[in-house]
Amino acid sequence: MTLSPSSDSRSIRAARHARAALSRASRRAVVAAAVALGATFLMGNHAFAAPAVGQQAPDFVAVDTGGAKHKLSDFAGKFVVLEWTNPGCPFVRKHYNSGNMPATQKAATAQGVVWLSVNSTERAASDYLQPAALDAWMKSQKAAPTAVLMDEDGVIGQAYGARTTPHIFIIDPKGMLVYAGGIDSIASARPDDIKTATNYVNQALGEAFGGKPISTAATRPYGCSVKYKS
Amino acid sequence: MPAAAQLASRPGAVVTTPHVRAELVAHAPEGVAPGAPVWVGLQITHQPEWHTYWKNAGDSGLPTELNWTLPSGVAAGDIAWPVPRKIPVGNLANYGYEGTVLLPVPLEVSSNFKPPLALGTGASTLDVRLKASWLVCRKECIPEEGEFTLALPLQGSTALHKAEFDAAQAAQPLPLGGPGAVEVSGNSLQVRLEGLPASAHGKTLGFFPETPELIRTAAEPGKDWTQSWQGGTWTATLPLADQRSASPTTLPLVVALAEADRQPGQPVAWRAEAPVSGSWPAAAPRAEVSPALQAALAANAATAPSSPASDLPPQPTVTLMAALLGALLGGLLLNLMPCVFPILAIKLLGFARQAGNHSAHRRAGLAYTAGVMLSVLALGGAMLALRAAGAQLGWGFQLQSPAVVAALAALFTLIGLNLAGVFEFGRAAPLSLCSAQAKHPIANDFLSGVLAVVIASPCTAPFMGVSLGLAIGLPAAQALLLFAALGLGLALPYLVAGFIPAVALLLPRPGPWMNTLRRLLAFPMFATVAWLVWVLGQQSGIDGAGTLLALLVCMAAVVWALTLRGRTRLVIATAVVAFTAVLAAAIGRNVLQTVEPARLAATAGQRWQPWSAERVAELTGAGQPVFIDFTAAWCVTCQYNKKATLADAEVLADFDSKKVAMLRADWTRRDPAITAALTALGRSGVPLYVLQAPGKAPVVLTEILGKAEVRAALAAL
Repeated sequence: MTLSPSSDSRSIRAARHARAALSRASRRAVVAAAVALGATFLMGNHAFAAPAVGQQAPDFVAVDTGGAKHKLSDFAGKFVVLEWTNPGCPFVRKHYNSGNMPATQKAATAQGVVWLSVNSTERAASDYLQPAALDAWMKSQKAAPTAVLMDEDGVIGQAYGARTTPHIFIIDPKGMLVYAGGIDSIASARPDDIKTATNYVNQALGEAFGGKPISTAATRPYGCSVKYKS
Repeated sequence: MPAAAQLASRPGAVVTTPHVRAELVAHAPEGVAPGAPVWVGLQITHQPEWHTYWKNAGDSGLPTELNWTLPSGVAAGDIAWPVPRKIPVGNLANYGYEGTVLLPVPLEVSSNFKPPLALGTGASTLDVRLKASWLVCRKECIPEEGEFTLALPLQGSTALHKAEFDAAQAAQPLPLGGPGAVEVSGNSLQVRLEGLPASAHGKTLGFFPETPELIRTAAEPGKDWTQSWQGGTWTATLPLADQRSASPTTLPLVVALAEADRQPGQPVAWRAEAPVSGSWPAAAPRAEVSPALQAALAANAATAPSSPASDLPPQPTVTLMAALLGALLGGLLLNLMPCVFPILAIKLLGFARQAGNHSAHRRAGLAYTAGVMLSVLALGGAMLALRAAGAQLGWGFQLQSPAVVAALAALFTLIGLNLAGVFEFGRAAPLSLCSAQAKHPIANDFLSGVLAVVIASPCTAPFMGVSLGLAIGLPAAQALLLFAALGLGLALPYLVAGFIPAVALLLPRPGPWMNTLRRLLAFPMFATVAWLVWVLGQQSGIDGAGTLLALLVCMAAVVWALTLRGRTRLVIATAVVAFTAVLAAAIGRNVLQTVEPARLAATAGQRWQPWSAERVAELTGAGQPVFIDFTAAWCVTCQYNKKATLADAEVLADFDSKKVAMLRADWTRRDPAITAALTALGRSGVPLYVLQAPGKAPVVLTEILGKAEVRAALAAL
């Protein structure tokens, strides 16, 4: 089935990382530098103009919490959800502690959607989490993203114009940005509001898979400001 | 959450959190009386570096929310937001307040206000309760809330916080003389304001749009956006937000002097509601699906003809092969029915008698098979034609439709009752026709195949019914294949006997066992009904399933009553039919209702009834005008209209005075009936508001529903 996420490639990746455990730290530094360079190069002129809905989503390369590299264009042919996250933010905790975000992630990945959680919190921020700690937090929340990407330099976040945590972007199989905005329709920190809110990710993916236009393609994201490196 | 702990204590006028001190304050210099100025407000004192937000919070953040509880006769106005400041957060920017801010709210005291009886002290008070929630941020953000109470003395002045209210008043933007003008040009917004006072001329102004998600909030003046003065006219060019989610036709905006330019006692800011000209850059929201995904989706759609939505009740996933096998077995079983088996037995004994003429037997077997198959296919084709005609009349042949599930349950109940012997289907052809014999032996065998189907029709009908039930969701070709399998099953014993004469001798003799078998077969049919009722229960809830069962019992009684003779039949059948009709009219709707969370809400609010085309016809038929709100949870405009115009007391009073029935059609889940109704009104989406009076053409109101418009439309009834 073309829609299933590549779990075998994940296990191969895991094996590769076990072998490379010794050199991991130094390798990550090298990769991160290369990625930052590559990302800047890939983004070129787009560095200061975030894509609007209906425009091509900027390509990027990023390292996940396990140290593996992911390139957006490698996911061509699939829907990709980018979710900006920061466990220190009460709005992020609202959607994780309630189980809403993990459930949304599971529903999406079960349909073959690639879900990338992105952390653009700068290293100097008080709530910055090391990759291992972020990974552990995600696991403790029973989160189900395809990968959790580290973006401490904020290159990806700024390329997309990510402003809040959470802030959601959906990219279609042709690489177009088809949704940008909030996780749901009620901007609040109250978990009780989740059940009455419209989950825009579920709605947009449901419409896209049903061959319908996305009825709500741009919404106001709400949450904490992304703590970018200044 | 740190703030929550604060709420445990008894509410007073002050809530203190680690980040703010919030106090409910009041200003009523002339006491509390109709017409006197009465102000209340939340005063927030922030810890250094912390801030809360303006009505448009900017790139992140949430505006402070105030929810008042006031005695009847007292109404709270909107927050009179003081001019905010722009708070840069890295490369983002917010609009909000640091230091101390007072968010004042005017209270309107009407002459209906009855102050509570004074207890002991003698002084009457106006009790104000406030539930407020605010988001306070430095770099990190903490959502906080608090409950406040305050008792305002009616007599005597409350002016303890005069200075703060005066300061908040001074920080209000003044209305500008003209509306100003905003033009969308490419990816920028051209703003032109006239009528600013001379004291502001030549100064650099701050720009605060009240509509969020419109301009790039973090754009820096002089660098990313420009402003200039031509005499008394201020113009500015502002960059639009990359991910704009609002495209208003009117932009309320505030311009403010820089803090350094503000003079005590002089206005600091001005507000205008500028009409927007030009067209907002369009977005292309349609998601492109890759060819591989499209193919996979098409394959899914072919195996499950109904919608791919995942949260629908389980569907019968009978694959075509299983269905074909079932039909074949059904056809074979049909041979053992009392109306078929004797014919088969006579014909097979004929084979046994003319032993030896093998080629003639084979020809006879093939001709008989052809006759059976052709007549079964003809019947199947006729049923499919009926189905197609029905589809054109608007039936939705999907098992998600409770109506189809209920109809299938009724069909299978009838089949079960027939097999159980409660009633018999009539024979399809008169016996005289059946006795006509052709001279040519092959034509004779072909005809006897046709006649086997016709003569056996009392028994064939249930088996055809089962095939039709299975075929109901299938495309025509597959459905016909199913009927063909049934025919093949029916013809198979004779066909096989034609080739292997020994088979004929293996058959049992006709006898009472045939009736026993037939009655036994009633139980699988009733089991199918049980399953269908369960499916319906998923769709229509326990009420729907219960109603269906009650109606099925009634239907069984009607069928039984029709088998009676003479006067008894007339009396009992009439009574049972009448009772069934009453029951169906009273609770029949339960079956067809789709249960979803919205229905609970709809029944809780008595004013709004759930929409259905039948209900509209019923109400208008009874002479009552109806107002229909086509809405959806995901439609922001709908929610806005619902909370603003459709919750407005005056508007609702007009609805009541005209005795208008209010129906709500919730399109949150795509509903074919609502889609059809929208299409009929020339629309493809929500919001849509229709006022329909009996005998008049429906009036379609605008999508952004105005109070005046609704009231005018109601007045015209």
